Amino acid sequence: MTTLSHAPASSRPIPNPKKSLITKLNMGTGIVVGVIFCWGTYFAMKAGRDMTDSHNVNKVLLMSMFAWSIGFLIGIGAFIGPFRWLIGKDLTDEEQLYLAGDGQGWKRYFKYCTDHKVVGIQYLVGVMALLGVGGTMAMMIRTNLATPGSHFVTPVVYNSLVGLHGITMIVAMIIVATGPFGNYIMPIMIGAADMAFPRLNALSWWVLFTAVPVLCSAWFLGGIPTGWTAYAPLSDQAGPGMNAFVATIIIFAVSTAVAGMNITTTVVAMRAKGMKWNRVPIFVIGATISVALAIPAFPTFMVAMIQTGLDRTIATGFYDANVGGSGWLYANLFWIMGHPEVYVILIPGVAALMEIAPVFVRKPLFSYNAAIAGFAGIAGLSVLVWAHHMYMAGWMPSLNGPFMVTTEFISVPTGLLFLVLIGTLWRGRPWMKLPMLCVYAFIWNFLIGGITGIYLSDVPADNYLHGSMYVTAHFHYTLMGAALTGAIGGLAYWFPKMTGRMLNERGGYISFWFIQIGFNVLFLGMFIAGAEGQPRRVADYAHLFAHANLISTIGAYSVGLGMIILLWAIVHSWRSGKIAPMNPWGAKTLEWTVPYPVPLVNFDQPPVVTSDPYGYGRSAK
Amino acid sequence: MADHESELLAPTPGARVSTFLKRKDVSQTLLLWVFFTAVFVVLGLWAYPKWMPVVLSKQMQANEDIMIWFTVISAPIAGVVLSIAAKSFLNMHRGDTPPEDGVAIRTNGPVVIVWTATSVLFCIVAIVWGLVALNTESIAAATDAPKSLIVDVTGSQWVWSFYYPQQNIHTHTLNLPVNQPVTFNVMSADVNHSFWPVQLGVKIDANRLVTTVAHADPTATGPLDVKCAELCGLYHAYMETSGAVESPTDFNNWVSSIQATGGVQQ
Repeated sequence: MTTLSHAPASSRPIPNPKKSLITKLNMGTGIVVGVIFCWGTYFAMKAGRDMTDSHNVNKVLLMSMFAWSIGFLIGIGAFIGPFRWLIGKDLTDEEQLYLAGDGQGWKRYFKYCTDHKVVGIQYLVGVMALLGVGGTMAMMIRTNLATPGSHFVTPVVYNSLVGLHGITMIVAMIIVATGPFGNYIMPIMIGAADMAFPRLNALSWWVLFTAVPVLCSAWFLGGIPTGWTAYAPLSDQAGPGMNAFVATIIIFAVSTAVAGMNITTTVVAMRAKGMKWNRVPIFVIGATISVALAIPAFPTFMVAMIQTGLDRTIATGFYDANVGGSGWLYANLFWIMGHPEVYVILIPGVAALMEIAPVFVRKPLFSYNAAIAGFAGIAGLSVLVWAHHMYMAGWMPSLNGPFMVTTEFISVPTGLLFLVLIGTLWRGRPWMKLPMLCVYAFIWNFLIGGITGIYLSDVPADNYLHGSMYVTAHFHYTLMGAALTGAIGGLAYWFPKMTGRMLNERGGYISFWFIQIGFNVLFLGMFIAGAEGQPRRVADYAHLFAHANLISTIGAYSVGLGMIILLWAIVHSWRSGKIAPMNPWGAKTLEWTVPYPVPLVNFDQPPVVTSDPYGYGRSAK
Repeated sequence: MADHESELLAPTPGARVSTFLKRKDVSQTLLLWVFFTAVFVVLGLWAYPKWMPVVLSKQMQANEDIMIWFTVISAPIAGVVLSIAAKSFLNMHRGDTPPEDGVAIRTNGPVVIVWTATSVLFCIVAIVWGLVALNTESIAAATDAPKSLIVDVTGSQWVWSFYYPQQNIHTHTLNLPVNQPVTFNVMSADVNHSFWPVQLGVKIDANRLVTTVAHADPTATGPLDVKCAELCGLYHAYMETSGAVESPTDFNNWVSSIQATGGVQQ
């Protein structure tokens, strides 16, 4: 565990280990070395191979992509520390301070920087970029579906858009709250000087960064024709673009494992003196449960993808029925990850809103224990429900009943989350700022997502709804309407602490209404199309579904406009917004006790916690 | 806030409830609850029958019943959430400074217990409903098997084809007689597909080298749309065909016409 001195930043000299290689490396050197590794591997492996054989093409492409990732990490200096350990040494104190970005200004955002606040900002910008790309693809999808018989894009491009939109958004949503806020805010919330493993923190971000060009390369390699579920044997049949998907997931799984271990260890081991478990802010509890859930989930996806890669490169036949394999093996592995992943995305967003509600209603969080029971219950049950995605697969129909029982029961801990929020609102007079508006939007959206989830978990109803647009609308209500709304609320709430400026209120309000009204129009239309019988992931449809799809597309454009306004508000506020006071909301968690810019080790003196952070409100007597 | 506080001093639980119900904020919340509950009930009763296709089988009827009645049953719970949220929203404070602190309610044991018990009860209703429907369907599939019409369904990129072994005909449309159970044996020639005769309300994946089985009880005549509900490649959107549930006479005539052309539908 690396720790830094608690000496105030002003008393430290700016580190300048001139002779160290660390000072020479940055994102640029990473890209150069990564590209050299990538092309070197490509040409070395290509030589002498029959490139008309798809297996050989897949081998060369996959290895080239991994080489890029490893080369980039070498080039940015990720392995200097471990290399020193191999020769019995470690980084000097000055080098560690340099790695922490001390005194380096904006350049530290392009280096292998171990400061959790720098990593938080890197994640924030990365998430916004991914959401921008994924959202643009969503606009293209909806444009193609605006009218039946549209030829805005070809079926090949459409299927690629569906797959790339899906995986881009899933990656973005997994990190949307735990990335920026889990890294920047959470360590300060618990009174820690940094994360438990600062170098791993930097590693998690830069590993994720290397996955982005790999994923983008899919577009130039023929796309991902399988949707983000990448079911076999369609994935075996798919062209070279599928390799990019396989490599992306494997790289991403490494990143999430590293980040998950780091966040969990930090919360367990580095809480401030006096911060007992019942005094930990609810966002920290939610983020920790979320990443702890991800730790077993994503390796399963990684295994599923390794086997897809092996099928595609050396014809192992894990998923090929012709040689004794089974697509059901893939489906099981995928959904063992896939359903917990929904809650990995959802829980931090809900937890952020639970952090927000008491501050703006000026009341304690209602039933802190029920909130924890809700999160823990959801996390526990979520690993036992995966096969509800496979009711209609034909795999073990006799298990449909048991999986229906476990799935329906997840509504009980989910109900506790609603209770905590409405209990906090009860008899309150909410301060209607943007973060608080997001609490209300969440309640509406998650209610719709939750109720429609109850239909879908019931086998007889799923007989009709499975694979239809109804499912698409349902999971967008939970992932976008609930989790993304929670993350936007979190951004509006913590923006002053992360940037030192207030988020432009007018821009925030206008974007909120465009996004939320548009969102409900968009997915109401999709519910109707699904109920009418339109399958999902179709590039074209019958005239019967025309009205519902047109409604959806109008709603989508409203969401797109709202997102552009929100992006403008963020960029404008970050550059020239109103300077934020240290604690603009009058909140009681520790992050609001430190100034902006937050000192390198967060607190000049380690804080001591004597109560939970929800001591708002007056006595009823 | 005096009326809020008086409830805590009330001598008996009955009197406390009575005082609670007389509070203005509570009566306003109750009015909102009635409104939201009614909206959800109307939505369930009106919207799903309007949106969903014509019911041509017992299975489709079971699907539609669940959509309608789960909405109606969940309406009072959704009403609680939305009415409290709406009441609080309407009581908003605006401005640049926070409002004064509200009442410090840390928790309320009976409320948590009642809420959890209600959730469990709702959950059990949904589970029992689903299990009964599932069991009914399983028993019907088993008992109907001897008298079922058999249809072997094959999905291949991007067409559906059907073989009726009892009639020895190959077709590309799905025609079925009304009031006779039907068993679909489904396979794929290539990647995964999902066989979805929409108005029958059944669905099952088509897998390579594995036969999956679905069962339906057509109860009314009408046109049938067959779609693929699993992304299966380039022309997934166009992997559809048509058919009909028709009278036994019409079905027999249809079979005869195909048998007359060598057993293969033209």
